[in-house]
Amino acid sequence: MAGTVELGPEDQAPQLVPLNAIFADDFVQILVPVTTADTIREVAAAVAHHVEGKRVRARDAEKVVFHKGRRLPPELTVAEAGIGPLDHVRVEYDLQEGAR
Amino acid sequence: MTLLKREEWQGFVRDVDWTYSYVDDEAVFPEWHSGTGKVPREAWLGWEEDYKVTYPDYVATQRDKEQSAYAVKAALQRSTTFDHLDEGWKSSTKMHFGGVALVEYAAVLGELKMARFGLNAAWRNMAAFGQLDELRHAQITTFFGHEFIKKDPQYDWTQKTFHMDNWVPISLRNLFDGMMIAPNVVDLAIALPFTFETGFTNLQFIALSADALEAGDVNFANMISSIQTDEARHSQQGGPTMEILVEHDPVRAQWIIDKNFWGSARAFAALTGPAMDYYTPLEHRKQSYREFMEEWIVDQFVHTIEDYGLKKPWFWDEFMRGLDTWHHGLHMGLWTWRPTLWWRPKAAVSKDERDWLREKYPNWEQVYGDKWDVIIDNINANNVEATLPETLPWLCSMCNLPCCNAEQTRSGRWRIPTYQLDYDGKTHHFCTNACRQIWWKDRDNVNHETLIDRFLAGQIQPMDVGGILTHMGLTPEVMGDDPDYEAWTRDYVGRPATGLALAAGHGED
Repeated sequence: MAGTVELGPEDQAPQLVPLNAIFADDFVQILVPVTTADTIREVAAAVAHHVEGKRVRARDAEKVVFHKGRRLPPELTVAEAGIGPLDHVRVEYDLQEGAR
Repeated sequence: MTLLKREEWQGFVRDVDWTYSYVDDEAVFPEWHSGTGKVPREAWLGWEEDYKVTYPDYVATQRDKEQSAYAVKAALQRSTTFDHLDEGWKSSTKMHFGGVALVEYAAVLGELKMARFGLNAAWRNMAAFGQLDELRHAQITTFFGHEFIKKDPQYDWTQKTFHMDNWVPISLRNLFDGMMIAPNVVDLAIALPFTFETGFTNLQFIALSADALEAGDVNFANMISSIQTDEARHSQQGGPTMEILVEHDPVRAQWIIDKNFWGSARAFAALTGPAMDYYTPLEHRKQSYREFMEEWIVDQFVHTIEDYGLKKPWFWDEFMRGLDTWHHGLHMGLWTWRPTLWWRPKAAVSKDERDWLREKYPNWEQVYGDKWDVIIDNINANNVEATLPETLPWLCSMCNLPCCNAEQTRSGRWRIPTYQLDYDGKTHHFCTNACRQIWWKDRDNVNHETLIDRFLAGQIQPMDVGGILTHMGLTPEVMGDDPDYEAWTRDYVGRPATGLALAAGHGED
């Protein structure tokens, strides 16, 4: 009898990952749904969509995602980065602290 | 036959009690309702209150008050006073009617519970008057609010609110179920008459009454002044209960006070704070919300609990810092998620209003000004759509209010911190450290599912903004919107603006 093979994250159908997110200096945490297949760059864009240019003035700078104290590489997927449902992420403009 | 003088029969009537011979005391006063805990049963014999009222006195006083309140209402029905009230002020009354009318009915149940399970006859007697008070408050508030439905369907939420799965009433149900429905009568007496009614209802009723008179709403001022006189009497139940509990179990007394003070402070920041500092027209504001809190809550509360030998709650510094931020963040949240409200929140950040906010709250501009500026510039660019929400605010697992309390970091930057807790396989998020601490300690008591919990569990269908609004009971004719965008944005017309979201259909690819 053949054994089963465990599928890696890359072979599984994308799963919904609801996040608790805050964008830059916005005044409130918001619910932002992403999927396990989304990249960190896409996570940043999904969070920014609700705030950038709406309550926080858009700036000409890359956006970076922080999760559990780590700054995440933009090309990683949500699954690869180990972001789970209901986790908190913080999205910031990639600026020097003094440039804010 | 001559009648006995009142003082000759009052004590006998008030203290009438049974000596049980066919049933155990525990069966009549079960612990889970009567909640005596570490207090010896006989200690409750010493329960004594200062406000000794008899039923004939009570009826005569209440009849006079009712006649007076309804006479003013009848007179004003013939005038056009209401039609000339500022829309911002009307929204304060819609919020009050919807948020309060059936909470008063929950208080009827709380008072009835004390009238049945209180461990002293005088206490049960007083609670019987208390439940009559609360029944009157539920009725008078519902009736006064009902009158305006023909002028504005948002007043229909006077009756509806507490039955709806809107995020505001979910938050209020969580608070008041924890205060009145779930606890035993000892905890209830510390939570409701002692912590809530002696402090917070004073703020709501006296402060709003003053603002109502300033705004020209004599009817509303008259109604809540009439209610306040009842509160002042039946709130006296808390003190004697407190005296006995503190003597035998001060740790429990401190916890009940701390928990309910915090919950009350959160609810008032959401409802009374915006009403006082934003919805009341600038020229009619008597004091800022912070000033009222300091005068009516902070000083009084600290003196009261210290008189009983208790301490300031462990969260005191966090609470005091919050007086400068909580209600401003919640106001921005209420305005942003205005389609989810049954009133019309006005933003109230014109230049004059901002001057006032800056004077009262020196950090206001630094924390909130930049966000309002982007919103203002969007409105002046004919892009109101960019100011409307496309997702939910994250709601605190404890107070059910948006997680929007800014705190200053060491670098001087104001940010929204994260307070989370992994428990039983789930991540919970809280708006403050104290909400997290209270939830942890009280997690098996009353913790309603937040709207976020319901949404993620698939209870809200379809899972979009339309589905959420339907779940919350909002229909287009009552859905909140700003009553006058131009009123607070015109000061800024023509200034250069950068970094705005593109309006829909303006070339976004």
